[in-house]
Amino acid sequence: MEIRKICVLGAGIMGHGIAQVCAQAGYEVNLRDIKDELVEAGIARIKKFLSGSVERQKMTQAEADAVLARIKGTTDLDKATRDADLVIEAIVEDIDIKKQVFREIDKICPTETIFASNTSAQSITEMAMATKRPEKFIGMHWFNPPQLMQGIEVVVHDRLSEDTVKTITELCHKLGKVPGICRDSTGFIVNRLLQIWYNEGLNMYDEGIAEPQDIDTAYREGCGFRMGPFELRDMVGLDTGLAITMTHYREYMRDQFKPPRCLVMKVRAGELGRKTGRGFYNYEAKS
Amino acid sequence: MSIENITIIGHSTLSAELAQILTKSGFEVLTTDLTEDYSAKASVAELVLEFLPEDLELKGKVLCDCDARCKGETILVTTTGNPWITRLASNTTRPDRFIGINFVRNWAQGKLFAQVAKGLQTSAQTVEACIESLRRAGLTPVKLEESPGLIIDRMIASVINEAALMYSTRLATIEDIDKMMKLCANWPLGPFELADIVGIDSVVSTLETLHQQLGAKYLPCPLLRKMVDAGWLGKKTGRGFYTYT
Ligand SMILES: NC(=O)c1ccc[n+]([C@@H]2O[C@H](COP(=O)([O-])OP(=O)(O)OC[C@H]3O[C@@H](n4cnc5c(N)ncnc54)[C@H](O)[C@@H]3O)[C@@H](O)[C@H]2O)c1
Repeated sequence: MEIRKICVLGAGIMGHGIAQVCAQAGYEVNLRDIKDELVEAGIARIKKFLSGSVERQKMTQAEADAVLARIKGTTDLDKATRDADLVIEAIVEDIDIKKQVFREIDKICPTETIFASNTSAQSITEMAMATKRPEKFIGMHWFNPPQLMQGIEVVVHDRLSEDTVKTITELCHKLGKVPGICRDSTGFIVNRLLQIWYNEGLNMYDEGIAEPQDIDTAYREGCGFRMGPFELRDMVGLDTGLAITMTHYREYMRDQFKPPRCLVMKVRAGELGRKTGRGFYNYEAKS
Repeated sequence: MSIENITIIGHSTLSAELAQILTKSGFEVLTTDLTEDYSAKASVAELVLEFLPEDLELKGKVLCDCDARCKGETILVTTTGNPWITRLASNTTRPDRFIGINFVRNWAQGKLFAQVAKGLQTSAQTVEACIESLRRAGLTPVKLEESPGLIIDRMIASVINEAALMYSTRLATIEDIDKMMKLCANWPLGPFELADIVGIDSVVSTLETLHQQLGAKYLPCPLLRKMVDAGWLGKKTGRGFYTYT
């Protein structure tokens, strides 16, 4: 199937970037959020990114204008999805809200329209089964920021058609991205392995083996990772991190995914990382 | 006590590189092996490092020989990746001046990296003296307690074990898993590329030690064991998760 028009639901951190990448690859894009100001904020972020690209001479002003002209913002779900060949959902990470939206657009969209969810940790299969088109329902897991991150996890499941997989992997290439196929399972490839990577480091600290600083240094200097597990937890936010770890632990029920005590305690103490000035490290300016 | 004379027992690419780095930084370095009177060469040093094969008995004998000939203040070092430090130390007369320093190579940048592992009886002064010498040699040492797999082998083995489980349960291909970890998590290498470099046998052996000491979650994935049985040990045998020609 050929894709010409793409609808992106949600104009937040991920949605605006996904819309931009699609428009830059020449697709017509409808960008939908629930309030005008949210749509406008998303488009403003795209404008800002594009003018940065023009400044750094990565594209001409005319090209930037053409990209923007291909993006239509709206709050009207019907208008946004009716003529799209593909709907990419990037709304809040709540399975019930996501299923509700998919049920609605299942009634609006023609039967050949493909639905894709950008969820990080909800079940693609479960959402697919909330529609009458599971064979056209796929996971498309982008990374932040979508404009810069090259990989996309394409999440497949038992009810999906080969044709849909083919269309979406080809689309990834056309968007200048690299697809990686993964069967539906919590955390897919990247987040699942990252949980192990984080947990081992944090567990070593819990076990009294080493201090966060030494563990981070070992990850960086000994293995070539850009950051260690404590630094990265602090950057992403400990509350967000704990929630993701818990999702894995509940789903897999394996000790590998058990939230480390130090993480749980930091969250309880309200030390959530850089955003609160304190996490595993102290970021408060010394007076 | 200041460390000026260092004796290295056993030859390997790591030990040769270390000897060179230490010499360049102004240390007096002697290298020797088991074909020579190694304990005589150890007797002049303030720091003695063994780089012998991972054989507990062999390491124990050599370090006890050195213990008998070395000056009282001399620090004895095992470079083992196994949790044998306290055990080896307690067979010498100087468990407080006995320590583990495990050297690994950073696969991304090729640099040497040192994990300084304290045995139960190792003194704080011994730890500090080793850290200081390694810093003087331009290395970035980290400090930790003796524990199975130390920091690096333990983390790598756990990640590889999970990746092997994901692949063997058909969630994704080897290539896609490696590709996504590099592109989406900025890893320098994918878990399977890493496994092939480290050696599947060594990954399984680390997991077995972890399993024995820390519990069921480290049980090696059946696929890894089968690969060891088949001799698919990674780059060194021409075949691991990937095939090399
Ligand atoms: N932030 C990340 O790093 C990241 C990475 C990969 C995937 N994800 C996933 O992407 C999705 C979006 O995350 P985000 O970080 O962009 O969140 P966000 O909060 O920045 O954006 C979500 C947007 O969706 C809007 N929204 C809510 N209900 C809607 C509806 N019914 N229709 C249309 N829009 C609606 C919200 O108003 C908000 O603007 C989540 O499923 C998340 O798990 C996030």
